[in-house]
Amino acid sequence: MAEPSRSQLAGKVVPLRNLIAIAACLALAACSLIAPYDRAAYEHATNAKVDTLALMSKATGSYDEHEKEVEALVRQLDKAYEYDRGRQLNKITIAQWDILRDPNRDLVGGFLKMWKAKGTLSSTFIAEKKKQVGDAFDQIIQLESGKLK
Amino acid sequence: MANIDVGSILKLVENQSKALAEKLFKQYTHQAVSDVRDFLQKSTVNLKRWVEELARGEMDKDEFESLVKGQADVAEMRALKQAGLAAVQIDTFTNGVLDIIVNAAFAAIP
Repeated sequence: MAEPSRSQLAGKVVPLRNLIAIAACLALAACSLIAPYDRAAYEHATNAKVDTLALMSKATGSYDEHEKEVEALVRQLDKAYEYDRGRQLNKITIAQWDILRDPNRDLVGGFLKMWKAKGTLSSTFIAEKKKQVGDAFDQIIQLESGKLK
Repeated sequence: MANIDVGSILKLVENQSKALAEKLFKQYTHQAVSDVRDFLQKSTVNLKRWVEELARGEMDKDEFESLVKGQADVAEMRALKQAGLAAVQIDTFTNGVLDIIVNAAFAAIP
């Protein structure tokens, strides 16, 4: 049997190479690094921000009087966190929620813990902490809105 | 079989991918640097104000400490946001290269 000519070989190799290139592209496209934008997650974060800042304003008053509201807010934050935790490729947002909610750090979790421990907080501190917590929520919101739609 | 110039397709893909990378990552770097600079400026102003408020007795030491530590927490969350946005840029680039390859391949078919 005669060996295939150079042009016959090239005719077989070029389509094969194209096929490999297309397969590589498809594999590349399938490997996203981060979750796409999720409207519900965005709304959870923006709603939680508004409700958190509203409750923080009440911390010049006694913690005991607002305990039920604190519990409701913690539940709301837990729901937002759990929703994000259920999404694929969402580790970075989860890490942000962890910092925000942690009672042993100094954002929402720490603020609520301090309010409970002290009973009431100063209005100056509350005003400053609200700016800081608002900024912290914005980091979650800005990342979500920056994800691919 | 139609005669397709694979070499010219690859050259086109390379050039367009390079232009896309330059555009995307230059834009991202500029935004990230500006974000960090803005944060550092705000943090400096905040710290000065908190010290004054502490000195005036408008907040106690625990509250002051909470604000300082909280600023470090925000910095960490900001860094995470930047890492996430960088990942978004890489995904955008990957999708862009895919479009470039498909368009270049279709354009080369007579």
